[in-house]
Amino acid sequence: MIELKNINVQFSGRDILKDVSETFQPGEIIGLVAPNGTGKSTLMNVIMNYVKPNSGKVVVQEKYQYTSKKNEVKIHQLVSMMPEQSDLYNHLSGKEHLRIYCSMWNSNPKLIDQTIKDLGMDSYVKKRTGTYSLGMRQRLCFAMQIVSDTPIMLMDEVMNGLDPNNVELISSILLKKKEEGKIIIVASHLLENLEKISDRVFLFKDAQLINANEITSGYGKREITTVRVKDLTDAIKEMFYQEFPNTEIRSLSSGISLVDVSNYDLEQLARIVIFFKEHHITDFSYGNVTLNDLYSMYYLENVKR
Amino acid sequence: MWAYFKFELSQFITNKKNIAIYAILLFLACFYAMKIAPSYEPIEKVDAKEIEARYLSREAFLSTFYNDPNRFVGMAGFGLAIYPEWNNLDKARLDALKDHDFVKYSEATSEWYVYANNITYGNERFFYSPGYYSHGNLYASEDGYYGYLYTASRYKGYAEGDYKLSLNVFEERTALQTLQRLLHSDLPMILMICCIFLTVDVVLKDRLNPTILRGFPISDWKKLIIKGIVSLIGSIGVILPLSVGLIIIGIRYGFGDFQLPVPIYTTLSKPSYFNKGEFVNTAMGNYLVDNVIFIVFCFMYLILLVLLVSMIIKNEFANLLAGAIFIFNESFFFQRGIGFFYEVENYPTNYVQVGQIVSGYRNYIYNSNALNFNHGLMIVGMSTSVLLVFIFIISKYKRYKLI
Repeated sequence: MIELKNINVQFSGRDILKDVSETFQPGEIIGLVAPNGTGKSTLMNVIMNYVKPNSGKVVVQEKYQYTSKKNEVKIHQLVSMMPEQSDLYNHLSGKEHLRIYCSMWNSNPKLIDQTIKDLGMDSYVKKRTGTYSLGMRQRLCFAMQIVSDTPIMLMDEVMNGLDPNNVELISSILLKKKEEGKIIIVASHLLENLEKISDRVFLFKDAQLINANEITSGYGKREITTVRVKDLTDAIKEMFYQEFPNTEIRSLSSGISLVDVSNYDLEQLARIVIFFKEHHITDFSYGNVTLNDLYSMYYLENVKR
Repeated sequence: MWAYFKFELSQFITNKKNIAIYAILLFLACFYAMKIAPSYEPIEKVDAKEIEARYLSREAFLSTFYNDPNRFVGMAGFGLAIYPEWNNLDKARLDALKDHDFVKYSEATSEWYVYANNITYGNERFFYSPGYYSHGNLYASEDGYYGYLYTASRYKGYAEGDYKLSLNVFEERTALQTLQRLLHSDLPMILMICCIFLTVDVVLKDRLNPTILRGFPISDWKKLIIKGIVSLIGSIGVILPLSVGLIIIGIRYGFGDFQLPVPIYTTLSKPSYFNKGEFVNTAMGNYLVDNVIFIVFCFMYLILLVLLVSMIIKNEFANLLAGAIFIFNESFFFQRGIGFFYEVENYPTNYVQVGQIVSGYRNYIYNSNALNFNHGLMIVGMSTSVLLVFIFIISKYKRYKLI
């Protein structure tokens, strides 16, 4: 378990993290979503003690805090952060990198071959990393952290530079690690993927960590909560409000409008279909609010009513 | 810790800058062995022609003046008093060389140098070998005194010892003697400069790969100690390329013997113009071991100095500067004889000329009796301990980040 207690971080008088308190449990994948420069990496750096918070503390496994250098070593035995691909040693092979991580965390050496196999790295893992493509380097960085085998893993932009196949591959490994009881905190811009693998997703707003479930009732539920309509004009919207007076519509910058139908029964849903048909709107679908929608709502445009 | 040690060691070995240093040293060692060592011209050469010329001219003097009624006029009487014994010794040297009896040559040569020094030192009419009178050397006579008695002691050792003697041994051309000569001159400083260059980036290189390294579950203190150990091993490793040069010299001129005598200048009381020390021979093996121990202590001091500066200033140029100050500091204030007035033995920077400290030459030119192996180890060791304590305190400081 890892607890963040009232974390405050300021850079040059600007709040980066403000009173952040959250607890992450074993067997959870936590997604972090925010535009660049809004605090995701800072939060991870605080968890790793690379950045000292102005106030607040990180508690790992209910007993370890960054109160001494000795504790820092103990915490780093439990918490690891995925390295950045630009930091790889170009003169060393991928396998040598994996061996370094395996030996530093004293993990099971069998994990090296297993991870190479799982990530399909056999063909290039013995070559110098200086010859690797972006995707190969990214997979290696991910593999290094998997090989460290720590109970808590922090991954910043883990899906960067990966093709859809590799995104799926890494996602499946993350889910496997989750089953093993690890806490995995992932920051990513691949929102669809993040939504799929994460147990909880947090967005950063005004230096605070906001649980996506708390932003709108339509997110993360396994029922019809939203009608997604494309190119809904203001005139039709007005008519819609007249017919369905207590309904909320959110217009996103992508041209999509989200009609909140969380509390609607079948009959009401059918009436909406009839309304759209009468007004010659054909491009709409039923479902729930996606992380992409939340991102658009939160970061791209003010919510319109 | 072992895993981190292996990681750091592999980093050190594969570091291009370090490889370049070893390659340059290998080149210099070979160049020295092939070009510089063969052209070495000792001041005290084994030169039968020179001995014979000196012998014959004195013999001519003696035969001319021996029965001359004016033989006590001017300096002739002095010449008649001192030349017979001097020539006896030269004759013994010449005969020994002719007979290839190196033991007898050693005995006669040792006595010759003592005798020659007794007459030459402080005498304006006699001079030491011309090699001491180099341009600008105001202390040629003092150097001659040291050189003659050093040579006398050395030859005495050859006469008493049980090892194979040769002209190369007499002229200190064998591999071990060449090493001894180099340790007496610039080799310790070259080794220390190499040590600084090998260590200069051992901490700061981690800034190039921060996300890989800073999460390692090992404390900064242990990281620094391991980095120091790796740097020390690497610095001692410069022996490898240098030994190639020594092997080449050994093949050409012989390797020498670990029992060969090395004269050590010793003084029991504070020396003066009239009260100088004496030479006591030690075995080459002992001399080299003492040098190695001393150089390793200096390496440890330098490595910890560079680690400390790396921690505080985080700039490689600052590391170089700090190391350079340690190595070259002495040359800024050095003056012959100031050891009589100042406690020069208490400054760690005065021990960089390791070979000269062990041989006692530094005492001779400082006019001191305190710059010796044991005191040097204590001073450098204590300075090293102080640096270690600083590094420990800073690395344990909660807010300090190594990377």
